[in-house]
Amino acid sequence: MTQIDRALSWLLGGRKPAASHLLLAPASLWLIFLLVIPAGGLIILSFAKNGPYGAIVWEFGLHNYARAFDPKYLPVLLRTLGFAGATTVLCLVLGYPLAYFLTFRAGRWRNALLVGLMVPFWSSCLVAYYSWMIVLGKEGLINTALLRAGFLSAPIGFLYTPFAILLGLVYFYLPFTVLPLYASLEKMPRSVVEAAYDLGAGRWTAFLKITLPLSLPGVVAGCVLTFIPCLGDFLTVEILGGPRYYLLGNLISNQFMMAQDWPFGSALTSLLLAGLVGGLWLYQRWEKA
Amino acid sequence: MAVYCAALFGFLYLPLGVMCVFSFNDARRNVVWRGFTLKWYKALFHDAELMSAMLTSLELAATAAVIAAILGMLASYAMVKHKPFRARGAYDALLNVPLMMPEVALGVGILTFLVRAGYELDFTALACSHALICLPYTVAAVRARLISLQESSLEDAAMDLGATEWQAFVKVTLPLAMPAIISGALLSFTVSFQDFVTSFFVAGIGIVTMPIKIYSMMKFGVTPEINALSVCLLLATFLLIGLNAAFAVRPDEASRH
Amino acid sequence: MTEPLSRRGFLKAAILAPLMPALLAACRRAEDARVVNFFNWSNYIGKDTLPEFTKRTGVAVRYDLFADEDEMFTKIRAGARGYDLIVVGDYLIPRFRSLNLIEAIPAGTLKNLANLAPRFRRPIYDPEETTVPYLWGTTGIAYNKKKIKNPPTSWRDLWDEKYKDRISMLDNVRDCISVAMQLLGIPQTTRDPEDFRKIRELLVKQKPLVKQYSSASYLNSLVAGEIDLAMTWSGDLFQTARENPDLDYVIPKEGTYMWVDCLAIMRGARHRADTLRLIDYLLEPSVAAGIANSVRYATPNLAASPEVDKALRDDPRVYPTRALMKQLQLHHVLDSEQSELWSQTWADVKVA
Repeated sequence: MTQIDRALSWLLGGRKPAASHLLLAPASLWLIFLLVIPAGGLIILSFAKNGPYGAIVWEFGLHNYARAFDPKYLPVLLRTLGFAGATTVLCLVLGYPLAYFLTFRAGRWRNALLVGLMVPFWSSCLVAYYSWMIVLGKEGLINTALLRAGFLSAPIGFLYTPFAILLGLVYFYLPFTVLPLYASLEKMPRSVVEAAYDLGAGRWTAFLKITLPLSLPGVVAGCVLTFIPCLGDFLTVEILGGPRYYLLGNLISNQFMMAQDWPFGSALTSLLLAGLVGGLWLYQRWEKA
Repeated sequence: MAVYCAALFGFLYLPLGVMCVFSFNDARRNVVWRGFTLKWYKALFHDAELMSAMLTSLELAATAAVIAAILGMLASYAMVKHKPFRARGAYDALLNVPLMMPEVALGVGILTFLVRAGYELDFTALACSHALICLPYTVAAVRARLISLQESSLEDAAMDLGATEWQAFVKVTLPLAMPAIISGALLSFTVSFQDFVTSFFVAGIGIVTMPIKIYSMMKFGVTPEINALSVCLLLATFLLIGLNAAFAVRPDEASRH
Repeated sequence: MTEPLSRRGFLKAAILAPLMPALLAACRRAEDARVVNFFNWSNYIGKDTLPEFTKRTGVAVRYDLFADEDEMFTKIRAGARGYDLIVVGDYLIPRFRSLNLIEAIPAGTLKNLANLAPRFRRPIYDPEETTVPYLWGTTGIAYNKKKIKNPPTSWRDLWDEKYKDRISMLDNVRDCISVAMQLLGIPQTTRDPEDFRKIRELLVKQKPLVKQYSSASYLNSLVAGEIDLAMTWSGDLFQTARENPDLDYVIPKEGTYMWVDCLAIMRGARHRADTLRLIDYLLEPSVAAGIANSVRYATPNLAASPEVDKALRDDPRVYPTRALMKQLQLHHVLDSEQSELWSQTWADVKVA
C-alpha cells in the first residue's frame, strides 16, 4: 500500500472529523465566500434604515421586521405557498412515471432521453414562455384551432391566469423533479423487486411496498429542488401572470430594484431563509424520530 | 407508460417546436406568422455578438457544472459515508441555502461583497457564483444516490475482500455514483445556462451571456434570430446524443437484455 | 450504468473547462488597447454608429446590455464599476448624483453641445449640464385600431370597464403615479399623505381591469392581440408598430410628461478622454440623426433634424406639434421624501 493510497483512504474513510472537514473544505470555501458572507451582509443590512434616495443609514432596529409582519403581506405569502405546493405535487405526480420509465424501460436510449429532458431549457425561460404565449394566446394556436372547428364562440383567455402561472412553473421545474428521482431509482437493486414478484406480490403492491420507499430520498430531493426555488420565482409571474398574482419573489425583487429599499428587501429575505431553514430542520428531526 | 412519457416529452418540446417553426417566420417578433424565410439563419451567422454570447454561456455553464460536480461529490461523500461529525445537520441545511436565497438578493449580496473585497468582476467570479447556485442540485442528486448505495453495502463488500477505501471508492463507489454525478452536472449546466438574475449582477465588463442578451432584447422584440440559434443548439445537441447512443459500446448492454 | 464514452468525455471536460476562462481572459486582455465601456439597452443605438466611431478614432466600444433601468441602477448601486458611459433616465439622475455614482461632464469640453435644442439645455433635472440628453419621448396610450373602435382620448379610458382584461400599464412608479395625479388634479409637488391615499385608491380601483403591469413584455402581448390598450413609451410603440401596422399611439387630452434618456459618465471612469470623445461624436448631427432613424425616438439634437427621415420628422406622435410641445413638461424633480412616498404608494398598489 503506497503512501498516497493510505492518505486517500484515511481521507475517504472519515473516521476522524478532520478527514470530513478536509473533504468538505472546497464546498465550504464556496459557501463561506459566496453565500455566508454575502447573506450575512444582507442580514446586517436588514436591521439598518433606508435613507434618502435609498442610501443606507446605519441606525439599527427591528423596524423592517415590524413592517414585514404587516397583514397586507399575508395573502402574498399564502398565494406563494399555494403555487409552490401545487407545482411540487404536480411535478411529482407527472414526473415519477417518467423517471420510472427512464430508469427501467428506456434501454439504450436512456442517456439520450435524459439529456433530451434538459435540452428545452438550454436557452432562456423567456423564450420558452414567449412560445407558450403563441400556443395559448387569444389568437394563439389552441384558440384558433378551437374557434375554426366551431367548439368556441369566443377565445379563452389562458394567459395571465393562475393556470398560466402553474403551467409555466410545472413546465420549468419538471426536469428538476425528474432527474433526482431518476438518480435514486437508477441502480435500485432489481432483484429486490423481482423477489417481491416471486413471492406473489402484484405490480402495484411491489411498487408501493418496495420501489417507492426505496426511492424516497429521490422524492425528497426532487421536492426540495422544486418547492424551494418556486418560492422565490418572480420571472414566471412577471411574464405569464397577471397583476393579481403577486408572489413573494416579486415582492422581494421589487424591494431591491423598483423601490430601492434594500434594508426591507433584506429583512424579507432573512425571514424567508429563517422559515425555510427552520422547516428543513423540523423535517430532519421528524425524519430521525 | 411509453405513450404517457411521449406525451410528457411532447409537453416539454411543444414550445421548442413552435420556436423552430417561427425561426422561419418573416417577422421581427415571433408572434404572428408572416411567411417563410431563411433570413434569420443568415443573420445569425453574421451576428458576432450573438454568437459570442452563446459561446460565453456554453463555457460558463460547462465550467460551473464541473466545479459544482466536484464540490458536490466531495461534500455528499463526507455527509453520507463518514461518521456523523458535529454540526452535520447544520451543514446539510447550509448546502441548501443557495436554493432558498431569492436570486436578486443573492446577486446583490455577492456583487456587493466582491466589490467591497476589491475583486474585479471577471469570468471566474461569474463561474464561481454559478457553481454556488448549482451546488444544491449536484448535492441533491449525488446524495440520494450515495444513500441508496449505502444500503446495498457494495463498498463494504469490496473492503471485506481486501480493497482499501481508496480502491473501493475508485472501483465501486465512483462508477456507481457516476449516473447521479452526470445527472447533477446536467441539472447544473441547465441552471447555469439559463440563469439571468445572478449573471446580470455578477457579470463584469464585456461579459454578455445568452440570457442577458435575450432579456435586453425584450423591450425591442426578441427576434427570431434567437429561435434560429436555439434550433441550431438543439440540432447540435441531438447530433451529439445520437452519435453517443449509436456508437457507444456498452459493456452493460449485454447484461441488460 | 455508466458509459465509458460519456465518462471519459466528462473527465476531459473537467480538466479542460477550468483552463478555458484563463485562455479567454488572456485573449480579451490582448485587445484591450483603447476602449470605452458603454452600458445601454439592447438596440438603443444605430447599427453603424459604434463601428463608425471605431473606424474614425481607433477606439473600440464595448457595449454591455441591461434589460431594465431599475436593474441597471441596482447593479451600479451595489458597486459594479468599470463602465465609462451609461444611459440613464432623467428621473434617475438625482439619485445617481446623490449616491455619487456619476461624474459631471466638465463645462466646455463638448464642442457639439450647441447642437442641442434650447429646451434641452440646462434641464430642471440637471441644471448644471453634468449629463447630455441622448433621446427623448413621451408617455401615452397605445391601442389596436382594429379592436378598439373609438380611439382613446383620455387617461380615463384606461379605467373603462369595457376594456376589462385588455389593458396593460407600465410597471413603473413614475408613470403610473403621475397619470393618477393628472386624473385627480394633484400637483407632482405634493407631499400630503391624503393625496397619496387617493392616488392609491384610484390605481387599486383600476387593478381588476388590468391584465399586465409590464414595461417590456407587454409589447409582445400587444402584437399578439392579448391586450388592446396599453400605457406605453412612444418610441417602444413605434418600433413595435413596424410589426403590426394596426397599432397606434395617442397622447391623451389631459397632456402627458416627456422624459429624456441621458448620457452620463460613471464615477471612476478609466477612459475619460475617449468617453468624452464618444459623447461628442454622438452629438454630431448626422450621427444623432442615424440613431433617431434607427430607434424611432425623438432626438434632442436640433442640428440633426434635417437628416432625420422625413416621415419620422413630420410625425406629430414622435415630434409633437408646437402647441403640444409647449404643454409638455418634464417630470418634477422629486426630493427623497417625495420619492419615498411615490414608491411606497406604488408598492402598496402592487401588493393590494
